[in-house]
Amino acid sequence: MNSIFLTRLFRLFILLLFQVLVFNNIHLLGYITPLVIGYMVVCMHRNASRIAVLVWGFVIGLLFDTFSNTAGMGAASCTLIAMIQPVLLERLAPRDSAENLTPSFTSLGFWNYVFYVFLLMAALHGCFYLLDAFTLTDWPLTLFSISGGSVFTTIIIIFIELLIRTRKETTRHL
Amino acid sequence: MRALIDLIIHNKHWFVFLLLEVISLVFLFSHNGYQKSVYFTTANDVVGSAYNVISGITSYLHLKEENHDLEAANEQLRKEVYEMHQQLEAIQKDSVKRMPALSLKYDVVSAQVVNMTIHKANNFITINKGEADGIRPEMGVINSRGVVGIVYMTSRHYSIVMPLLNVNSKISCRLRNSEYFGSLVWQRGYADIAYVTSVPRHAPVKKKEIVETNGYSDIFPPGLPIGVVQEIGDSPDGMSYFLRVKLFANFPTLREVSVITNYSSPERRMLEEMAEDPAKQDSVLISQDKMKELEEQKKKAADEKAEKERLEFERVKQQLEKEHSTSTPSATITNDNPISTDTVR
Repeated sequence: MNSIFLTRLFRLFILLLFQVLVFNNIHLLGYITPLVIGYMVVCMHRNASRIAVLVWGFVIGLLFDTFSNTAGMGAASCTLIAMIQPVLLERLAPRDSAENLTPSFTSLGFWNYVFYVFLLMAALHGCFYLLDAFTLTDWPLTLFSISGGSVFTTIIIIFIELLIRTRKETTRHL
Repeated sequence: MRALIDLIIHNKHWFVFLLLEVISLVFLFSHNGYQKSVYFTTANDVVGSAYNVISGITSYLHLKEENHDLEAANEQLRKEVYEMHQQLEAIQKDSVKRMPALSLKYDVVSAQVVNMTIHKANNFITINKGEADGIRPEMGVINSRGVVGIVYMTSRHYSIVMPLLNVNSKISCRLRNSEYFGSLVWQRGYADIAYVTSVPRHAPVKKKEIVETNGYSDIFPPGLPIGVVQEIGDSPDGMSYFLRVKLFANFPTLREVSVITNYSSPERRMLEEMAEDPAKQDSVLISQDKMKELEEQKKKAADEKAEKERLEFERVKQQLEKEHSTSTPSATITNDNPISTDTVR
């Protein structure tokens, strides 16, 4: 339990650092800023308590807000995906999988995992950009940011996942 | 009852979810008020100093352009100084007339941008000067090229500026040649384009005309450049122009800004508030009466004090005279007296 907590804390620190220093400064095509911080919620394992997942989501969002002047927007959207994540994971997990399944390519299968990440990112970016615009007058622009952001962030997360997993595999072989 | 408790325990995550969402939304909406959200934004000292370090590193990336700008500003200032010198000389030869005020009517505090967004609907800039440097909300922010924005909230060492690139920003401005005024707004999209609305249709507007502040608000002094008219269009209702303006301030590379610190006057603001809200007029009158009363009391107290000091002085004088008659005079006596005479008068 303690080691899981420390791992999450470490992951949070690294992700926040990257989000603030790198991803907050990326504006693809002028509007698309990837909220990679959502990877924290993606990584929550299967039998984690739902309240713990919610609180983690909220704290992650709040930290993100503090660094990017978006008071409340990040917290609201991260809490939303923290609510969806356990349900989604339950649906997508193979029937005979382990109780404390950690979502990854190997445990869910490649396309299932991509689908899982994309749905969570779509919810995250949808909530975030709707709260940011707070109007539907320029909805094409909002829709563009939401869809672009979800796709772009999904690609980044899959890239991170590939990087981490392959390194783990190689260390195991050694 | 038991069923209810079971229901709550079984669905407790829903309650936690709703609670956390409500808290987030409260943060979101309170962000629109002043000071409330200072601790959840980059005006916070901890986060602000983190950004300070980061911008210390990244500012090197823009040094070239910044240097170029400074060089240009320097050039212009040199030219102006030369012109002013000539003007001054011409006037001094006359020796009677003098220009009443050559100096600026406002002070500025220069600050560095430590964090900024330009691609959202509501963009903000964090700068590394705050209340400790005399910065307060609603002060104007400019840079060497033109107007940047208005201070939105402050903490001790950091402030958040609402730049022109914010859908909530609205700055009153005028056209330099014709002096017709309008208001400058921004629409989400480009970081160098804003729009001037409510310029009347009969105003002679030309392309490449300069848009500047008009000094109607007490945030900016009149005549600060904002941008240049790029395209002339009509507003949806057809009653006024809708001008597309290219902003002078280059937001993507913004590093150095100046905050105008002493232009806004509380007296003027109070007067304007009073005119808008008749209910306040009575309270102001009452406070004026109170002020008078207070002044009278002060006067009385001062009179009493002066009387007391006079008596004291007399007493000392008599004593000194007595001493003088008995012993030789000393230099200290003359030194003591002028102080007391001053206070008596």
